[in-house]
Amino acid sequence: MAPKPGGNAPNRRALRERKVSQRMAVVDDATRQQAAQARLDALENDNDQTADPFGLASDDDEFNLEDEDEEEEIGGKKGKRKKSGVKRKLRNAASDRRGPKNFARILDEAELDRLPPGKPSYLTAAARPSTTSAARKFCSVCGNTSGYTCARCGSRYCCRKCYTVHTETRCLKFTV
Amino acid sequence: MSLPPVIAIDNGGGNCKIGMAGQAAPTKVFPNASAKPKGERGALIADLLADSKEVSQLTLRRPVDRGYLCNLELQREIWSRGIRALLRRQPGECGLLLSEPLFNFEEIRSNTQQVVFEEMGFRSFYAAPAPVFSMHRAAGLLGASSPAARTGAGVIVDAGFSFTHIVPFFKGQVLEGGVRRINLGGKLMTNYLKELVSYRSLNMMDETYLMDSVKEQLCFVSQNVKADLKAAQNLARSPHRREFVLPDGVNNLRGYVRDPAAWAEKVQAIKDAVRAAESMDEKRRLASQMEADQVLVLNNERFMVPELLFHPDDVGLHQAGVAEATVQAVTATHAALAPLLYSNVVLTGGIASCPGFRDRFTTELRALVPDDHDLNVFQPQDPALFAWEGMSVFGSSRSYSSVALTKAQYEEGGGWAAHRQYS
Repeated sequence: MAPKPGGNAPNRRALRERKVSQRMAVVDDATRQQAAQARLDALENDNDQTADPFGLASDDDEFNLEDEDEEEEIGGKKGKRKKSGVKRKLRNAASDRRGPKNFARILDEAELDRLPPGKPSYLTAAARPSTTSAARKFCSVCGNTSGYTCARCGSRYCCRKCYTVHTETRCLKFTV
Repeated sequence: MSLPPVIAIDNGGGNCKIGMAGQAAPTKVFPNASAKPKGERGALIADLLADSKEVSQLTLRRPVDRGYLCNLELQREIWSRGIRALLRRQPGECGLLLSEPLFNFEEIRSNTQQVVFEEMGFRSFYAAPAPVFSMHRAAGLLGASSPAARTGAGVIVDAGFSFTHIVPFFKGQVLEGGVRRINLGGKLMTNYLKELVSYRSLNMMDETYLMDSVKEQLCFVSQNVKADLKAAQNLARSPHRREFVLPDGVNNLRGYVRDPAAWAEKVQAIKDAVRAAESMDEKRRLASQMEADQVLVLNNERFMVPELLFHPDDVGLHQAGVAEATVQAVTATHAALAPLLYSNVVLTGGIASCPGFRDRFTTELRALVPDDHDLNVFQPQDPALFAWEGMSVFGSSRSYSSVALTKAQYEEGGGWAAHRQYS
Protein backbone atom coordinates (compact mmCIF):
# COMPACT_ATOMS: atom_id res chain seq x y z
CA MET A 1 0.00 0.00 0.00
CA ALA A 2 1.39 3.32 -1.07
CA PRO A 3 1.65 5.91 1.67
CA LYS A 4 -0.52 8.92 1.31
CA PRO A 5 1.50 12.08 1.07
CA GLY A 6 -0.25 14.02 3.82
CA GLY A 7 -2.27 11.75 6.12
CA ASN A 8 -0.15 9.07 7.76
CA ALA A 9 3.34 10.53 7.76
CA PRO A 10 3.26 12.82 10.84
CA ASN A 11 1.70 10.08 12.90
CA ARG A 12 4.28 7.58 11.89
CA ARG A 13 7.10 9.97 12.67
CA ALA A 14 5.67 10.61 16.08
CA LEU A 15 5.60 6.89 16.77
CA ARG A 16 9.15 6.47 15.66
CA GLU A 17 10.34 9.38 17.79
CA ARG A 18 8.66 7.96 20.81
CA LYS A 19 10.28 4.58 20.34
CA VAL A 20 13.71 6.03 19.94
CA SER A 21 13.41 8.33 22.86
CA GLN A 22 12.27 5.51 25.13
CA ARG A 23 15.21 3.37 24.24
CA MET A 24 17.73 6.16 24.51
CA ALA A 25 16.25 7.85 27.53
CA VAL A 26 18.85 8.52 30.11
CA VAL A 27 17.67 8.05 33.65
CA ASP A 28 18.33 11.24 35.52
CA ASP A 29 20.29 11.57 38.73
CA ALA A 30 17.31 11.90 41.02
CA THR A 31 15.78 8.67 39.79
CA ARG A 32 19.10 6.89 40.05
CA GLN A 33 19.40 7.97 43.65
CA GLN A 34 15.86 6.88 44.31
CA ALA A 35 16.61 3.47 42.85
CA ALA A 36 19.76 3.19 44.97
CA GLN A 37 17.82 4.10 48.11
CA ALA A 38 15.08 1.64 47.30
CA ARG A 39 17.69 -1.04 46.88
CA LEU A 40 19.25 -0.24 50.24
CA ASP A 41 15.85 -0.45 51.89
CA ALA A 42 15.17 -3.74 50.18
CA LEU A 43 18.43 -5.10 51.54
CA GLU A 44 17.15 -4.52 55.08
CA ASN A 45 13.97 -6.49 54.52
CA ASP A 46 13.10 -9.87 55.91
CA ASN A 47 11.86 -12.43 53.46
CA ASP A 48 8.44 -12.33 55.06
CA GLN A 49 6.03 -11.43 52.29
CA THR A 50 3.07 -11.03 54.60
CA ALA A 51 4.77 -8.32 56.58
CA ASP A 52 3.41 -4.89 55.93
CA PRO A 53 6.36 -2.82 54.77
CA PHE A 54 4.74 0.55 55.31
CA GLY A 55 3.16 -0.01 58.70
CA LEU A 56 -0.26 0.74 57.30
CA ALA A 57 -2.00 -2.33 58.67
CA SER A 58 -3.58 -0.68 61.67
CA ASP A 59 -4.92 2.18 59.56
CA ASP A 60 -6.42 -0.29 57.15
CA ASP A 61 -8.07 -2.18 59.97
CA GLU A 62 -9.74 0.90 61.19
CA PHE A 63 -10.92 1.70 57.74
CA ASN A 64 -12.50 -1.70 57.39
CA LEU A 65 -14.18 -1.44 60.75
CA GLU A 66 -15.71 1.86 59.77
CA ASP A 67 -17.25 0.13 56.77
CA GLU A 68 -18.68 -2.58 58.95
CA ASP A 69 -20.20 0.03 61.14
CA GLU A 70 -22.02 1.65 58.26
CA GLU A 71 -23.45 -1.67 57.18
CA GLU A 72 -24.67 -2.19 60.69
CA GLU A 73 -26.56 1.07 60.65
CA ILE A 74 -28.50 -0.14 57.69
CA GLY A 75 -29.13 -3.44 59.41
CA GLY A 76 -30.93 -2.04 62.43
CA LYS A 77 -30.31 -0.70 65.92
CA LYS A 78 -30.21 -3.88 67.92
CA GLY A 79 -27.49 -5.43 65.78
CA LYS A 80 -25.52 -2.25 65.85
CA ARG A 81 -25.22 -2.02 69.58
CA LYS A 82 -23.96 -5.54 69.84
CA LYS A 83 -21.40 -5.07 67.11
CA SER A 84 -20.14 -1.74 68.32
CA GLY A 85 -18.84 -3.40 71.45
CA VAL A 86 -16.86 -5.79 69.31
CA LYS A 87 -15.67 -2.92 67.23
CA ARG A 88 -14.37 -0.96 70.16
CA LYS A 89 -12.46 -3.92 71.39
CA LEU A 90 -10.93 -4.49 67.99
CA ARG A 91 -10.01 -0.91 67.58
CA ASN A 92 -8.31 -0.88 70.92
CA ALA A 93 -6.33 -3.88 69.88
CA ALA A 94 -5.43 -2.23 66.59
CA SER A 95 -4.26 0.98 68.17
CA ASP A 96 -2.56 -0.94 70.96
CA ARG A 97 0.76 0.65 71.66
CA ARG A 98 2.56 -2.58 71.15
CA GLY A 99 1.12 -3.28 67.72
CA PRO A 100 4.02 -3.94 65.40
CA LYS A 101 5.12 -0.61 64.06
CA ASN A 102 7.93 -0.49 61.65
CA PHE A 103 11.10 1.36 62.43
CA ALA A 104 10.48 4.29 60.11
CA ARG A 105 7.26 5.06 61.94
CA ILE A 106 8.83 4.93 65.37
CA LEU A 107 11.64 7.17 64.20
CA ASP A 108 9.13 9.56 62.73
CA GLU A 109 7.01 9.70 65.86
CA ALA A 110 10.00 10.26 68.13
CA GLU A 111 10.41 13.70 66.51
CA LEU A 112 14.15 13.72 66.97
CA ASP A 113 14.54 16.83 64.85
CA ARG A 114 12.88 18.79 67.63
CA LEU A 115 15.66 18.08 70.09
CA PRO A 116 17.86 21.03 71.02
CA PRO A 117 20.74 21.30 68.55
CA GLY A 118 23.89 19.55 69.70
CA LYS A 119 22.09 16.90 71.71
CA PRO A 120 23.29 13.48 70.57
CA SER A 121 20.52 11.35 69.11
CA TYR A 122 19.90 8.60 66.62
CA LEU A 123 20.17 11.12 63.82
CA THR A 124 23.46 12.70 64.87
CA ALA A 125 25.09 9.31 65.39
CA ALA A 126 25.04 8.35 61.72
CA ALA A 127 28.54 8.06 60.33
CA ARG A 128 29.40 10.82 57.89
CA PRO A 129 30.36 10.17 54.28
CA SER A 130 33.91 9.13 53.71
CA THR A 131 36.49 11.81 52.99
CA THR A 132 39.56 9.60 52.69
CA SER A 133 38.50 7.21 49.98
CA ALA A 134 36.57 7.58 46.75
CA ALA A 135 33.76 5.24 45.81
CA ARG A 136 35.16 2.19 44.11
CA LYS A 137 33.79 0.86 40.89
CA PHE A 138 32.79 -2.73 40.45
CA CYS A 139 30.97 -4.45 37.65
CA SER A 140 27.33 -4.87 38.57
CA VAL A 141 27.24 -8.20 36.78
CA CYS A 142 30.37 -10.15 37.66
CA GLY A 143 31.87 -8.05 40.45
CA ASN A 144 35.27 -7.37 38.93
CA THR A 145 36.77 -3.92 38.75
CA SER A 146 34.92 -2.09 36.05
CA GLY A 147 35.91 0.61 33.63
CA TYR A 148 32.59 1.56 32.09
CA THR A 149 29.26 3.04 33.07
CA CYS A 150 25.96 2.19 31.46
CA ALA A 151 24.97 5.42 29.76
CA ARG A 152 21.33 4.82 30.53
CA CYS A 153 21.06 3.83 34.15
CA GLY A 154 24.51 4.53 35.54
CA SER A 155 25.36 0.97 36.63
CA ARG A 156 28.88 -0.23 36.11
CA TYR A 157 30.08 -3.00 33.84
CA CYS A 158 33.47 -4.36 32.93
CA CYS A 159 33.25 -5.88 29.49
CA ARG A 160 31.00 -6.34 26.52
CA LYS A 161 29.74 -9.65 27.78
CA CYS A 162 28.66 -8.19 31.08
CA TYR A 163 27.13 -5.22 29.31
CA THR A 164 24.92 -7.53 27.26
CA VAL A 165 23.81 -9.32 30.40
CA HIS A 166 23.18 -6.01 32.09
CA THR A 167 21.02 -4.54 29.34
CA GLU A 168 19.06 -7.74 29.04
CA THR A 169 18.30 -8.09 32.72
CA ARG A 170 18.88 -5.25 35.07
CA CYS A 171 19.01 -2.04 33.11
CA LEU A 172 15.27 -1.81 32.62
CA LYS A 173 14.35 -3.39 35.92
CA PHE A 174 16.17 -0.84 37.97
CA THR A 175 14.82 2.18 36.20
CA VAL A 176 11.21 1.36 35.45
CA MET B 1 20.10 -10.75 101.68
CA SER B 2 21.16 -12.95 98.83
CA LEU B 3 20.91 -11.63 95.33
CA PRO B 4 18.01 -12.88 93.23
CA PRO B 5 18.88 -14.91 90.15
CA VAL B 6 19.19 -12.68 87.11
CA ILE B 7 18.50 -13.72 83.56
CA ALA B 8 20.80 -12.02 81.08
CA ILE B 9 19.55 -11.61 77.53
CA ASP B 10 21.71 -10.01 74.88
CA ASN B 11 18.89 -9.28 72.51
CA GLY B 12 20.63 -8.86 69.20
CA GLY B 13 18.84 -8.31 65.95
CA GLY B 14 20.23 -11.54 64.59
CA ASN B 15 20.90 -13.84 67.50
CA CYS B 16 19.44 -13.77 70.96
CA LYS B 17 21.96 -14.78 73.60
CA ILE B 18 20.28 -16.06 76.73
CA GLY B 19 21.62 -17.40 80.01
CA MET B 20 21.77 -16.92 83.76
CA ALA B 21 24.00 -14.14 85.01
CA GLY B 22 27.13 -15.60 86.55
CA GLN B 23 27.59 -18.31 83.95
CA ALA B 24 30.71 -18.27 81.82
CA ALA B 25 28.80 -18.63 78.57
CA PRO B 26 25.17 -18.21 77.54
CA THR B 27 22.98 -21.28 77.89
CA LYS B 28 21.83 -20.93 74.34
CA VAL B 29 22.30 -18.73 71.32
CA PHE B 30 19.42 -18.84 68.88
CA PRO B 31 18.18 -16.74 65.98
CA ASN B 32 15.99 -13.93 67.21
CA ALA B 33 13.21 -14.70 64.79
CA SER B 34 10.21 -16.83 64.17
CA ALA B 35 10.49 -19.03 61.12
CA LYS B 36 7.68 -20.56 59.21
CA PRO B 37 8.57 -23.51 57.00
CA LYS B 38 6.95 -23.32 53.62
CA GLY B 39 3.56 -24.98 53.46
CA GLU B 40 3.19 -25.34 57.22
CA ARG B 41 1.07 -23.26 59.49
CA GLY B 42 3.03 -23.17 62.70
CA ALA B 43 6.19 -21.17 63.17
CA LEU B 44 9.40 -22.22 64.89
CA ILE B 45 10.94 -20.00 67.52
CA ALA B 46 13.93 -19.90 69.84
CA ASP B 47 15.58 -23.29 70.44
CA LEU B 48 13.14 -25.03 68.11
CA LEU B 49 14.54 -22.94 65.29
CA ALA B 50 18.16 -23.25 66.35
CA ASP B 51 17.87 -27.05 66.52
CA SER B 52 15.61 -27.36 63.53
CA LYS B 53 16.85 -29.76 60.92
CA GLU B 54 15.04 -28.00 58.15
CA VAL B 55 16.83 -24.86 56.98
CA SER B 56 15.51 -24.29 53.51
CA GLN B 57 12.48 -22.29 52.54
CA LEU B 58 11.99 -20.67 55.92
CA THR B 59 10.04 -17.46 56.09
CA LEU B 60 11.63 -15.37 58.82
CA ARG B 61 9.92 -12.74 60.87
CA ARG B 62 12.11 -10.70 63.17
CA PRO B 63 11.01 -8.65 66.17
CA VAL B 64 13.93 -6.29 65.61
CA ASP B 65 13.78 -3.84 62.74
CA ARG B 66 16.94 -1.88 61.93
CA GLY B 67 18.29 -2.69 65.35
CA TYR B 68 15.30 -1.48 67.33
CA LEU B 69 12.76 -3.64 69.05
CA CYS B 70 9.64 -2.97 67.01
CA ASN B 71 7.56 -6.10 67.43
CA LEU B 72 7.33 -6.70 71.16
CA GLU B 73 4.54 -9.22 70.81
CA LEU B 74 6.79 -11.59 68.90
CA GLN B 75 9.74 -10.78 71.12
CA ARG B 76 7.79 -11.69 74.24
CA GLU B 77 6.95 -15.10 72.77
CA ILE B 78 10.59 -15.72 71.97
CA TRP B 79 11.75 -14.66 75.44
CA SER B 80 9.07 -16.71 77.15
CA ARG B 81 10.03 -19.79 75.21
CA GLY B 82 13.72 -19.20 75.92
CA ILE B 83 13.22 -18.67 79.63
CA ARG B 84 10.75 -21.48 80.26
CA ALA B 85 12.15 -24.15 77.96
CA LEU B 86 15.87 -23.44 78.04
CA LEU B 87 16.56 -21.90 81.42
CA ARG B 88 13.63 -23.60 83.17
CA ARG B 89 12.87 -20.55 85.24
CA GLN B 90 9.81 -18.53 86.03
CA PRO B 91 10.07 -14.79 85.35
CA GLY B 92 8.40 -14.15 88.71
CA GLU B 93 11.44 -15.32 90.63
CA CYS B 94 14.12 -13.63 88.53
CA GLY B 95 15.47 -10.27 87.55
CA LEU B 96 16.07 -9.43 83.90
CA LEU B 97 19.15 -7.83 82.44
CA LEU B 98 18.64 -6.83 78.85
CA SER B 99 20.72 -5.20 76.15
CA GLU B 100 19.19 -2.44 74.09
CA PRO B 101 20.42 -0.39 71.15
CA LEU B 102 22.06 2.96 71.71
CA PHE B 103 19.71 5.93 71.59
CA ASN B 104 16.78 3.65 72.21
CA PHE B 105 13.46 5.40 71.77
CA GLU B 106 11.36 6.32 74.77
CA GLU B 107 8.39 4.64 73.23
CA ILE B 108 10.19 1.32 72.88
CA ARG B 109 11.65 1.65 76.34
CA SER B 110 8.35 2.15 78.09
CA ASN B 111 6.70 -0.60 76.07
CA THR B 112 9.52 -2.96 76.95
CA GLN B 113 9.08 -2.17 80.64
CA GLN B 114 5.40 -2.81 80.31
CA VAL B 115 6.02 -6.22 78.81
CA VAL B 116 8.72 -7.09 81.29
CA PHE B 117 6.79 -6.15 84.42
CA GLU B 118 3.12 -6.38 83.58
CA GLU B 119 2.99 -9.26 81.15
CA MET B 120 5.97 -11.37 82.09
CA GLY B 121 6.14 -10.34 85.74
CA PHE B 122 9.89 -10.06 86.35
CA ARG B 123 11.02 -8.94 89.78
CA SER B 124 13.51 -6.39 88.56
CA PHE B 125 14.76 -5.06 85.27
CA TYR B 126 17.68 -3.17 83.86
CA ALA B 127 18.61 -2.43 80.27
CA ALA B 128 21.67 -0.78 78.80
CA PRO B 129 23.34 -0.76 75.38
CA ALA B 130 25.38 -3.85 74.57
CA PRO B 131 28.65 -1.87 74.12
CA VAL B 132 28.36 -0.76 77.75
CA PHE B 133 28.56 -4.39 78.84
CA SER B 134 31.38 -5.07 76.39
CA MET B 135 33.32 -2.21 77.93
CA HIS B 136 32.57 -3.57 81.37
CA ARG B 137 33.96 -6.93 80.32
CA ALA B 138 37.01 -5.45 78.60
CA ALA B 139 37.81 -3.41 81.70
CA GLY B 140 37.53 -6.56 83.78
CA LEU B 141 39.95 -8.40 81.51
CA LEU B 142 42.50 -5.61 81.29
CA GLY B 143 42.60 -4.75 84.98
CA ALA B 144 44.69 -1.63 85.56
CA SER B 145 47.49 -2.55 83.21
CA SER B 146 47.45 0.54 81.00
CA PRO B 147 46.50 4.22 81.24
CA ALA B 148 43.41 3.54 79.14
CA ALA B 149 42.29 0.76 81.46
CA ARG B 150 42.86 2.94 84.54
CA THR B 151 40.77 5.79 83.14
CA GLY B 152 38.06 3.55 81.72
CA ALA B 153 38.74 4.83 78.21
CA GLY B 154 38.31 2.91 75.02
CA VAL B 155 36.37 2.43 71.85
CA ILE B 156 33.97 -0.43 71.35
CA VAL B 157 33.35 -1.34 67.73
CA ASP B 158 30.16 -3.37 67.69
CA ALA B 159 29.64 -4.85 64.25
CA GLY B 160 26.29 -6.52 64.67
CA PHE B 161 23.45 -7.85 62.64
CA SER B 162 21.47 -4.66 62.16
CA PHE B 163 24.13 -2.01 62.17
CA THR B 164 27.62 -1.18 63.28
CA HIS B 165 28.21 1.10 66.21
CA ILE B 166 31.43 2.77 67.24
CA VAL B 167 31.18 3.85 70.83
CA PRO B 168 33.87 5.84 72.63
CA PHE B 169 34.07 5.55 76.42
CA PHE B 170 35.73 7.60 79.12
CA LYS B 171 35.61 6.79 82.82
CA GLY B 172 33.39 3.89 81.88
CA GLN B 173 30.75 6.25 80.51
CA VAL B 174 29.51 6.41 76.93
CA LEU B 175 30.59 9.64 75.26
CA GLU B 176 27.31 10.05 73.48
CA GLY B 177 28.46 12.87 71.24
CA GLY B 178 31.07 10.59 69.74
CA VAL B 179 28.91 7.59 68.97
CA ARG B 180 28.87 6.78 65.27
CA ARG B 181 26.66 4.35 63.48
CA ILE B 182 27.04 2.74 60.06
CA ASN B 183 23.67 1.55 58.84
CA LEU B 184 25.06 -1.70 57.69
CA GLY B 185 25.31 -5.03 59.41
CA GLY B 186 25.05 -8.75 58.97
CA LYS B 187 21.50 -8.62 57.76
CA LEU B 188 22.31 -6.34 54.87
CA MET B 189 25.31 -8.51 54.07
CA THR B 190 23.22 -11.68 53.98
CA ASN B 191 20.68 -10.02 51.77
CA TYR B 192 23.40 -8.65 49.53
CA LEU B 193 24.97 -12.08 49.22
CA LYS B 194 21.55 -13.48 48.45
CA GLU B 195 21.04 -10.88 45.76
CA LEU B 196 24.45 -11.47 44.17
CA VAL B 197 24.10 -15.22 44.14
CA SER B 198 20.55 -15.08 42.83
CA TYR B 199 21.61 -12.81 40.01
CA ARG B 200 24.73 -14.70 39.07
CA SER B 201 23.90 -18.34 39.59
CA LEU B 202 20.97 -19.84 41.52
CA ASN B 203 17.88 -18.12 42.78
CA MET B 204 18.25 -18.09 46.55
CA MET B 205 15.95 -15.19 47.31
CA ASP B 206 13.75 -17.34 49.56
CA GLU B 207 16.65 -18.89 51.42
CA THR B 208 17.59 -16.18 53.91
CA TYR B 209 18.30 -18.59 56.71
CA LEU B 210 20.42 -20.85 54.57
CA MET B 211 22.38 -17.96 53.08
CA ASP B 212 23.05 -16.71 56.56
CA SER B 213 24.88 -19.91 57.32
CA VAL B 214 26.64 -19.86 53.94
CA LYS B 215 27.87 -16.39 54.79
CA GLU B 216 29.13 -17.47 58.18
CA GLN B 217 30.96 -20.45 56.74
CA LEU B 218 32.49 -18.94 53.64
CA CYS B 219 32.88 -15.19 53.87
CA PHE B 220 36.17 -13.61 54.79
CA VAL B 221 37.68 -10.15 54.82
CA SER B 222 40.22 -9.64 52.10
CA GLN B 223 43.53 -7.99 52.96
CA ASN B 224 44.08 -6.81 49.43
CA VAL B 225 40.90 -6.51 47.44
CA LYS B 226 42.45 -5.66 44.10
CA ALA B 227 44.78 -8.63 44.14
CA ASP B 228 42.08 -10.99 45.33
CA LEU B 229 39.68 -9.78 42.67
CA LYS B 230 42.29 -10.31 40.03
CA ALA B 231 43.02 -13.79 41.29
CA ALA B 232 39.33 -14.58 41.28
CA GLN B 233 38.75 -13.36 37.75
CA ASN B 234 39.09 -16.76 36.18
CA LEU B 235 36.50 -18.89 37.93
CA ALA B 236 38.14 -22.21 37.09
CA ARG B 237 41.53 -21.22 38.50
CA SER B 238 40.40 -18.95 41.28
CA PRO B 239 41.89 -19.73 44.68
CA HIS B 240 38.76 -18.29 46.30
CA ARG B 241 36.34 -20.58 44.55
CA ARG B 242 34.31 -22.68 46.97
CA GLU B 243 31.45 -25.03 46.40
CA PHE B 244 28.56 -25.18 48.80
CA VAL B 245 26.37 -28.23 48.48
CA LEU B 246 22.78 -27.17 48.97
CA PRO B 247 20.49 -29.21 51.17
CA ASP B 248 18.47 -31.77 49.27
CA GLY B 249 16.04 -32.39 52.08
CA VAL B 250 16.83 -36.12 52.34
CA ASN B 251 20.40 -36.98 53.26
CA ASN B 252 21.78 -33.51 53.59
CA LEU B 253 19.56 -31.16 55.54
CA ARG B 254 21.76 -28.19 56.30
CA GLY B 255 24.10 -28.03 53.35
CA TYR B 256 27.87 -28.13 53.63
CA VAL B 257 31.02 -26.78 52.04
CA ARG B 258 32.53 -29.31 49.69
CA ASP B 259 36.13 -30.10 50.32
CA PRO B 260 37.84 -29.75 46.91
CA ALA B 261 40.45 -32.47 47.48
CA ALA B 262 37.97 -35.05 48.74
CA TRP B 263 35.60 -34.20 45.92
CA ALA B 264 38.33 -34.55 43.29
CA GLU B 265 39.10 -38.00 44.66
CA LYS B 266 35.47 -38.95 44.55
CA VAL B 267 35.13 -37.74 40.98
CA GLN B 268 38.16 -39.80 40.02
CA ALA B 269 36.69 -42.86 41.71
CA ILE B 270 33.41 -42.41 39.89
CA LYS B 271 35.23 -42.00 36.58
CA ASP B 272 37.14 -45.20 37.16
CA ALA B 273 33.95 -47.00 38.05
CA VAL B 274 32.30 -45.73 34.89
CA ARG B 275 35.19 -46.97 32.82
CA ALA B 276 35.03 -50.35 34.48
CA ALA B 277 31.27 -50.65 34.19
CA GLU B 278 29.98 -53.08 31.60
CA SER B 279 26.59 -51.95 30.40
CA MET B 280 25.67 -48.51 29.14
CA ASP B 281 22.90 -48.17 31.72
CA GLU B 282 25.34 -48.90 34.50
CA LYS B 283 27.69 -46.22 33.15
CA ARG B 284 24.89 -43.68 33.07
CA ARG B 285 23.78 -44.52 36.57
CA LEU B 286 27.29 -44.10 37.93
CA ALA B 287 27.95 -40.90 36.02
CA SER B 288 24.76 -39.35 37.37
CA GLN B 289 26.31 -39.48 40.85
CA MET B 290 28.53 -36.62 39.88
CA GLU B 291 25.59 -34.39 39.11
CA ALA B 292 23.46 -35.51 42.01
CA ASP B 293 24.12 -32.58 44.33
CA GLN B 294 22.99 -29.08 43.65
CA VAL B 295 26.01 -26.91 44.14
CA LEU B 296 26.29 -23.21 44.73
CA VAL B 297 29.61 -21.84 43.56
CA LEU B 298 30.94 -18.80 45.35
CA ASN B 299 33.92 -16.87 44.15
CA ASN B 300 34.52 -13.16 44.63
CA GLU B 301 31.27 -12.89 46.61
CA ARG B 302 33.13 -14.45 49.50
CA PHE B 303 35.15 -11.31 50.18
CA MET B 304 33.15 -8.66 48.37
CA VAL B 305 30.29 -9.07 50.85
CA PRO B 306 32.20 -8.33 54.10
CA GLU B 307 33.98 -5.66 52.09
CA LEU B 308 30.83 -3.56 52.40
CA LEU B 309 31.64 -2.74 55.98
CA PHE B 310 34.91 -1.14 54.94
CA HIS B 311 33.43 0.60 51.92
CA PRO B 312 29.67 1.08 52.32
CA ASP B 313 29.88 3.14 49.14
CA ASP B 314 30.07 -0.14 47.22
CA VAL B 315 26.39 -0.71 47.77
CA GLY B 316 25.41 2.95 47.48
CA LEU B 317 25.38 3.78 51.17
CA HIS B 318 27.16 7.10 51.52
CA GLN B 319 28.84 6.55 54.85
CA ALA B 320 32.43 6.05 55.84
CA GLY B 321 33.78 2.56 56.34
CA VAL B 322 34.27 1.13 59.81
CA ALA B 323 37.87 2.29 60.18
CA GLU B 324 37.21 5.85 59.11
CA ALA B 325 34.04 5.96 61.20
CA THR B 326 36.18 5.03 64.19
CA VAL B 327 38.32 8.08 63.48
CA GLN B 328 35.17 10.18 63.17
CA ALA B 329 33.98 8.89 66.53
CA VAL B 330 37.25 9.64 68.27
CA THR B 331 37.66 13.10 66.74
CA ALA B 332 34.14 13.98 67.83
CA THR B 333 35.26 13.63 71.46
CA HIS B 334 37.83 15.79 73.23
CA ALA B 335 41.17 15.95 71.42
CA ALA B 336 43.08 15.04 74.58
CA LEU B 337 41.30 11.72 74.76
CA ALA B 338 42.44 10.51 71.34
CA PRO B 339 45.65 8.77 72.50
CA LEU B 340 43.79 6.97 75.27
CA LEU B 341 40.92 5.93 73.04
CA TYR B 342 43.13 4.61 70.25
CA SER B 343 45.14 2.59 72.71
CA ASN B 344 42.11 0.50 73.59
CA VAL B 345 39.93 -0.45 70.63
CA VAL B 346 37.80 -3.54 71.14
CA LEU B 347 36.10 -5.39 68.30
CA THR B 348 32.83 -7.07 69.17
CA GLY B 349 29.73 -8.31 67.39
CA GLY B 350 29.16 -11.23 65.07
CA ILE B 351 30.77 -9.67 62.00
CA ALA B 352 34.04 -9.12 63.88
CA SER B 353 34.56 -12.88 63.96
CA CYS B 354 34.77 -12.94 60.16
CA PRO B 355 38.28 -14.19 59.32
CA GLY B 356 40.68 -11.36 58.55
CA PHE B 357 38.48 -8.64 60.02
CA ARG B 358 40.87 -7.62 62.76
CA ASP B 359 43.93 -7.44 60.50
CA ARG B 360 42.19 -5.42 57.85
CA PHE B 361 40.64 -3.09 60.40
CA THR B 362 43.98 -2.53 62.10
CA THR B 363 45.76 -1.84 58.81
CA GLU B 364 43.14 0.65 57.69
CA LEU B 365 42.88 2.36 61.04
CA ARG B 366 46.66 2.58 61.47
CA ALA B 367 46.86 4.51 58.23
CA LEU B 368 44.36 7.05 59.53
CA VAL B 369 45.61 7.49 63.08
CA PRO B 370 48.49 9.92 63.74
CA ASP B 371 51.65 7.86 64.08
CA ASP B 372 52.58 9.16 67.52
CA HIS B 373 49.46 7.54 68.93
CA ASP B 374 49.61 3.94 70.05
CA LEU B 375 46.99 1.75 68.47
CA ASN B 376 45.84 -1.41 70.18
CA VAL B 377 43.08 -3.41 68.63
CA PHE B 378 41.79 -6.16 70.83
CA GLN B 379 39.57 -8.90 69.55
CA PRO B 380 38.10 -11.23 72.14
CA GLN B 381 37.93 -14.98 71.66
CA ASP B 382 34.31 -14.87 70.63
CA PRO B 383 33.34 -11.32 69.67
CA ALA B 384 29.67 -12.23 69.30
CA LEU B 385 29.38 -13.37 72.93
CA PHE B 386 31.59 -10.71 74.46
CA ALA B 387 28.75 -8.39 75.38
CA TRP B 388 26.85 -11.28 76.94
CA GLU B 389 29.86 -12.18 79.05
CA GLY B 390 29.91 -8.61 80.29
CA MET B 391 26.23 -8.86 81.08
CA SER B 392 26.82 -12.06 82.99
CA VAL B 393 29.44 -10.40 85.17
CA PHE B 394 27.37 -7.28 85.66
CA GLY B 395 24.15 -9.17 86.39
CA SER B 396 25.70 -11.28 89.10
CA SER B 397 27.33 -8.34 90.86
CA ARG B 398 25.82 -6.00 93.40
CA SER B 399 25.86 -3.15 90.88
CA TYR B 400 22.91 -4.78 89.17
CA SER B 401 20.68 -4.51 92.19
CA SER B 402 21.75 -0.93 92.80
CA VAL B 403 20.64 0.26 89.36
CA ALA B 404 17.82 -2.13 88.49
CA LEU B 405 14.24 -1.04 88.68
CA THR B 406 12.17 -3.31 90.89
CA LYS B 407 8.63 -4.32 90.20
CA ALA B 408 7.40 -2.39 93.25
CA GLN B 409 9.13 0.78 92.06
CA TYR B 410 7.65 0.35 88.61
CA GLU B 411 4.17 -0.13 89.95
CA GLU B 412 4.53 2.89 92.15
CA GLY B 413 6.14 5.39 89.85
CA GLY B 414 6.05 4.01 86.32
CA GLY B 415 9.14 4.04 84.17
CA TRP B 416 12.44 5.33 85.43
CA ALA B 417 13.89 5.93 82.01
CA ALA B 418 14.01 9.66 82.55
CA HIS B 419 16.48 9.64 85.42
CA ARG B 420 18.79 6.87 84.46
CA GLN B 421 22.50 6.78 83.84
CA TYR B 422 24.44 4.17 81.96
CA SER B 423 27.06 2.76 84.22
